[in-house]
Amino acid sequence: MTAVAADTAPVIRGGSLRRSRRWALITSYVCLALFAIFFLTPPYYQLVTATKSSEEISNQNTDPWLPSFAPTSENIVNLWTKTDFPIYLRNTSIVTACVVALTMIISVPAAFALGRMRFWGSGILATGVFLTYLVPDSLLFLPLFKVVGSLGLLNSYWGLMLVYPTLTVPFCTWIMIGYFQSIPKELDEAALIDGASHLQMLFKIFIPVALPGLIAATIFAFTVSWAEFVYPMAFIFNSSQQVLTAGTITTLVKADVYQWGMIMTAALIAAAPPLILYAFLMDYYIAGLTAGATKG
Amino acid sequence: MSETIPRTLIAGKGAAPARPGSLYRLSRQRSTIAFLFALPLLVVVGGLIVYPGIYAMYLSTLNRTQTRFLGLGNYTFLLSRDTFWAVVEQSVIFAGTAVLLKALIGIVTAHLVNNLPSKGQRKWRGMLLIPWVIPLSLSTLGWFWLLDPTYSAFNWFFARIGGPHIPWLSDPMWARFCTILVNVWFGAPFFLIMYLAALKSVPQQLYEAAAIDGANAWQKLIHVTLPMMRNIISITVLYSLIVTFANYDIVRVLTSGGPRNKTHVFATWAFQLGIASGDIPLGASVSLFMFPILGISAIFILRGVRRRGKEI
Amino acid sequence: MKTNTVSRRKFLKRAALATTAAVAAPYMRTSYSAGKLTLGCWDHWVPGANDTLTAIVNEWGAKNHVECHIDYITSVGDKDLLTASAEAEAKTGHDIMQHRAWQVQVHRDVLEPVDDVINALVKDHGPIATISEYLAKDRHGKWKGVPTVVGSQVKPCCSRIDLYKQYCGVDVTKIFPFGDNRDQALVDSWNWDLYLSTAEKLFKGGFPVGLPMGQTSDAIDWVGALFRSYGAVFVDEKDNVTVDSAETRAALEYAQKIMKFNPPDVYAWDDAGNNKWLISGKGSSIMNPPSAWAVAKRDNIKVAEQCWTHDMPRGPKGRFAPYLPFYYGVWTFAQNKAAAMDLIHYIVDKPQAKRQVAASVGYDLPAFKSYYDFDTWKTVEPPKGTVYNYPPRGDEELSITGYPARADVAAQIYNQSLQTVMIGKVAQGGEKIDDVVKWAKNECEGYLRS
Repeated sequence: MTAVAADTAPVIRGGSLRRSRRWALITSYVCLALFAIFFLTPPYYQLVTATKSSEEISNQNTDPWLPSFAPTSENIVNLWTKTDFPIYLRNTSIVTACVVALTMIISVPAAFALGRMRFWGSGILATGVFLTYLVPDSLLFLPLFKVVGSLGLLNSYWGLMLVYPTLTVPFCTWIMIGYFQSIPKELDEAALIDGASHLQMLFKIFIPVALPGLIAATIFAFTVSWAEFVYPMAFIFNSSQQVLTAGTITTLVKADVYQWGMIMTAALIAAAPPLILYAFLMDYYIAGLTAGATKG
Repeated sequence: MSETIPRTLIAGKGAAPARPGSLYRLSRQRSTIAFLFALPLLVVVGGLIVYPGIYAMYLSTLNRTQTRFLGLGNYTFLLSRDTFWAVVEQSVIFAGTAVLLKALIGIVTAHLVNNLPSKGQRKWRGMLLIPWVIPLSLSTLGWFWLLDPTYSAFNWFFARIGGPHIPWLSDPMWARFCTILVNVWFGAPFFLIMYLAALKSVPQQLYEAAAIDGANAWQKLIHVTLPMMRNIISITVLYSLIVTFANYDIVRVLTSGGPRNKTHVFATWAFQLGIASGDIPLGASVSLFMFPILGISAIFILRGVRRRGKEI
Repeated sequence: MKTNTVSRRKFLKRAALATTAAVAAPYMRTSYSAGKLTLGCWDHWVPGANDTLTAIVNEWGAKNHVECHIDYITSVGDKDLLTASAEAEAKTGHDIMQHRAWQVQVHRDVLEPVDDVINALVKDHGPIATISEYLAKDRHGKWKGVPTVVGSQVKPCCSRIDLYKQYCGVDVTKIFPFGDNRDQALVDSWNWDLYLSTAEKLFKGGFPVGLPMGQTSDAIDWVGALFRSYGAVFVDEKDNVTVDSAETRAALEYAQKIMKFNPPDVYAWDDAGNNKWLISGKGSSIMNPPSAWAVAKRDNIKVAEQCWTHDMPRGPKGRFAPYLPFYYGVWTFAQNKAAAMDLIHYIVDKPQAKRQVAASVGYDLPAFKSYYDFDTWKTVEPPKGTVYNYPPRGDEELSITGYPARADVAAQIYNQSLQTVMIGKVAQGGEKIDDVVKWAKNECEGYLRS
């Protein structure tokens, strides 16, 4: 809360203002550093472990927190050349890209309709969409297997594209409803007077204003499809169709033998594409936003 | 694009009400177009969620071999089991604590990041996001190795500084703590993103207006920031609550429900009954047990979100 | 009335057996058109083991003009259970599916009877272990799965020769020697009491034994063998809940004692926990297939050189080895059933079984006693003869947790890890034995609900 204190600035006189601002900033940094330690300890440990051979990992006399005394690239090399990891990575990328696109195409217009336009039954539909999360995927996979099987898409990542939207669409729709709802009513009235159609209104006014929400929803859909575990575990048996999460675990854990070095490497590689993408996306919306809409 | 908005906004405020004729025509058109907009959603929800959901409900009314209709038999049977109530208790503790902590950490970190000079924000945002971008199934394995009874790197560190050997996953209380810890670690950045996005979309004018009225920081938070973020906070909390209640991976990987069933949550126990022990209807009943409780809270929260839309 | 039906059923069964034996000698292949066959097989953790199975299947395919495709499905993350359940519910999927322990019973209504294959195999190779039969026969006495070679395993003791000598003066290689020259008196001395006293000495010496007490199969398996060797029956064949007995209490009291000499973390061990314990060099003995030894050979050869796999300790009611068999099942909705049966017979037949055992470095344990003479168990090292006693060679009987209750009840005793939870409550939670037995009785009554 100390950080918010910076906002009280205008009331206080010049000298103390700068001082309190600086203190607020320092407190912010200290707090953030603490959170960062909490968030980054496991990834750091994964990074350290990824550079070690399985012999060194199981050696209890070396410091598990320090980088290897004899760093090895065997984990990443083996992962890349001796397993199907590159295939998993490619499959996951294809599936995720398609699912994100599909999710946005479905949920943005729907959210606009449910949030701003309303029609008969829209209230029930909106609530119903969200309630679907109450049937967890660890149960839903049974009937979905039937649906996917009857379409002949079992053991194929196209089948995953069909089922992943069940995980992404409801939340994305609601997050967009939430953003569309908080846009002042005057906006669409004005647009209607200007003679804009609903579609124009959606694209020219609502999407730009709700851009942070749209990006948040995209990030959400991306992460969920990138990380989904239960469906590929149940639906894919062939490693040419397998995705990253299930593929990594099924390849690198055999019965009670874990290849820790390679598992950690895989986890870190798996984290890279979303991280880069998010850094880019968030920059974009923050830049676009502070320049335009809010400072009008 | 965004530069045109404020102008439209001002125009909207200033303009006289439109002619009634065109508005009427528009409103009639409106519901048809709205329905068309929502049609893809209807298809997805109907085909891939409602049908399987109803099928799951139907399953839960059958006996083990799916040959006999039991009505609510599975549910009444569950109510009479001690283990079931233990699972309910643990699920509530697990989901309640985890969601509360995630929401708090999310709000605090979102505020902290938002107050940084915009140059530094990027770096911090990136760092704080990392737990959420590592696929949960893989990062849980990493945690599992960190908490491993024999190789725990935490315990290695504690041993170095003369600290205690902590039974991370073998003592029921510590095991509960660990499952919640991993869930919070993974989920808090999600709240951070959602809240940060919401904070960014609070119009700056509102703060300026509040400052003119002489509001202090706390008052601004209570009267401007939180009301503007209410929709997003409620949706995020609701989603997280449901997903945390249904969480499978973390508990399955870390403890498999042990020690002594003390960390079982709905999903892991349902899996154990349904898939592993071959009583799919009973497993379905366990999964569906959270439906009424969460369903009612969802209806109220979502109704609130839609109400607020009308008020604005 | 009841005995009447049983005897009639028995008669019919015997008659059926006689006719198939008469007709199918030697094993007669039913005719089937060449075509396609898909298999979902357990993904073996030993490098190269999958390749051997693939080669065997392809040989058969080439000979019979059938195009075979194998998907290797791991048991990690219960992927095999997820896939099998989904296929059974959706009535679509592979022709042949490999099932773990209880899964044949779970899916018995959608599995094709395989009695012909079993009868032919039994005729050539002798009887199959009773436990394998118990896990694969449905209510009408029909076999619904053929015990595999691949993946089937037993979990006897794997002990450190040096530590047992140093701290207890016990030479496990003498009690269970490499070769068939066992001294019965020595073997008899290896009972739970001796195990307890050695465990105490090893604990004091700083190298405790590691007996998992979590809720995964390694823990459930050895605990089941312990209870059974004390004669504790939880639910009997006739659905009587008999858990509240002196035998159960005796076993619980023993468990309470032995858990004191284990590391405190055993309550959190998953199936890899005991392996890591042994490989790290901190542990003196575990109960596991030779996978722990094999990984030690890779990561910590000094430990591997001292490992000796040998029989379980004997209890008042016998010596039991925890057995976890796998099965091949043919779905009722399979496309090419006749070919599937023929292929299964080919895979499990002795010459092919021998290659599979060799490829698994002795990890896979076939269901036929007559297969125990394979070279692999004699040649694998270090040290020489380390896994010779992995197949039961003495008075050890194969057992599974939950036996002899009716399969769907026993599957719950097993999968909900009733027994390890009981021990946990007593030994870790400090609950009274009476209360825990009462709780278990209530749980068992719940499992009996049909």
